[in-house]
Amino acid sequence: MTTIPEPVTRAARAMADRALSWLHANRELGGLPPDTTETMADPDSVYKPLGETTLAASLILRDGVAGPGRLVAAQSLMDFTWEQFGRGDMIYERQLRHTLMTDPLEMYAPFVRCGYRHEGLDRLLAHRSRMRSVNSAEVLPNRRLAVANAARVVGLEHAEDMRTLAGATWLGARPEPWAVNWITAYAMTHTVFHLTDWGGNPSGLPPELASYLHDWLPVWIDVWREVGQWDLVTELLIVGASLEEPYCPPEDWEAIAGLQHEDGFVPRDSDPVDDDPQRRFTDHQHTVVVTAVAGSIALARAQGRR
Amino acid sequence: MSSHSAFAAASDALAACVLGALDGTGGAVQLARYVDDASDTLAALAAVRVLGADTFSPHLLLEGPLPAQDAAVVAKAFDAFPASGASEEAVVARRDHATAVLFARLSGEDTLRVAEPAPVDDAGPAGPAGWAGWCVRMAQLAPLATLVLDGPVHEAARDGALQLCRGVSRSILRRDFPTAVRLVRWLAWLHHEGVGLPLDPGLVAEHVLLVGGAGPRTALDLAIARHLLERRPGKGVKAAHA
Repeated sequence: MTTIPEPVTRAARAMADRALSWLHANRELGGLPPDTTETMADPDSVYKPLGETTLAASLILRDGVAGPGRLVAAQSLMDFTWEQFGRGDMIYERQLRHTLMTDPLEMYAPFVRCGYRHEGLDRLLAHRSRMRSVNSAEVLPNRRLAVANAARVVGLEHAEDMRTLAGATWLGARPEPWAVNWITAYAMTHTVFHLTDWGGNPSGLPPELASYLHDWLPVWIDVWREVGQWDLVTELLIVGASLEEPYCPPEDWEAIAGLQHEDGFVPRDSDPVDDDPQRRFTDHQHTVVVTAVAGSIALARAQGRR
Repeated sequence: MSSHSAFAAASDALAACVLGALDGTGGAVQLARYVDDASDTLAALAAVRVLGADTFSPHLLLEGPLPAQDAAVVAKAFDAFPASGASEEAVVARRDHATAVLFARLSGEDTLRVAEPAPVDDAGPAGPAGWAGWCVRMAQLAPLATLVLDGPVHEAARDGALQLCRGVSRSILRRDFPTAVRLVRWLAWLHHEGVGLPLDPGLVAEHVLLVGGAGPRTALDLAIARHLLERRPGKGVKAAHA
């Protein structure tokens, strides 16, 4: 069985359960505005966060380590976001009108993981995956991994070689750890998320990259903890929990669990938090999503699910 | 009465002098002349104590002699500012001991009578301070990262090569360049010892020189590091316990 220290398991359970409760309790604040169509002016405002909430709920259902009440809440969240997307119609319309866009596929993948399917979208994605134009679109290497992993989850036939894609990323170069910056650190975390399918397949990360991360995660967690970048720190915790031999120092997990409010809220950084509920949701929803995912992955590892 | 700023200025001046000797832009270090010419003799002697083992860098790395009159100045500096024996000043005690060991080696005299530091401060990276706290202490002990010296601190450095690399990375990311520079000295020393490192020590040395190499003390640390990096691995005079 994978070694996850008991204090980490305790912290992870609190993080996952409370974060899921907060996402469920505040789900209406993340709903799409009425009359939203597939051509949205600002997809990052609500559309993308809805996808993130879907992802968190889908991973909690996949990992299956939450209590029965939590699993019901996760299922309820999936139902909520599926309804928001018109039971898949909006995702279908967006992919239909914007062939080269990758976000519809990425948005659909967590639904597929949990058994939600849209017949038209399945046909459209299969058609699209045979297009050289689609498969040759120029995207950043870590984004290409995101698309490849989503395609894998959806079950599309066009399979990319994940290890080759990994080699083209910043992490794949095993670069100077002292030259990382904030945005590159996020890119690095996502490289790990996609290679391991969000912690579900730790062996998807090439061993030399796992070894590199064992060397440098302690540094990165330390410096971003010091400046209160809680969102990034929690993503780094996911990275540590996704390694074949997990890197999960109790003090780091307890630090994030200690920041979490009783209702599950987790601030994204050390800046003051706005009291306005909508602002609060918009600013910090991503961090709560990340917290739920971190907790669920660590718990699954602790229970030897993978 | 010599002020703190006078001590700091004297230390910078002596560091510049040692640096000049080391990189060939100045003549040999002449400690006796440096102190004789100083307007504030006490500050000049304090500078010899502050630079400690680094004062001997040109003698060690370029293998030059330590003239008797310069050796006398070092002894005089220890008379003016006696070596620390206090356990709460473990780092200072360890540095004083290193200075005394090098002095004895170069002068042939064992007149400083600095006591061997207690081993209590020699905990490695797995100690209670963790790797980050240990690296801060190793940065304070950077003058020991030079030729000839070898002892418990060096043994801990060999065992903690990865942790020292983490310390360098952490310091750069925190823009704490003085600490980064001092830890780079340890990486250079480890490289010279033939210890494999997960960082390219030459690249990181050049980086900290470019982004944080201001000031004669920092420049001296980097010059010593460069000498260690360029020196053939393992080439050095016989080690002395420090």
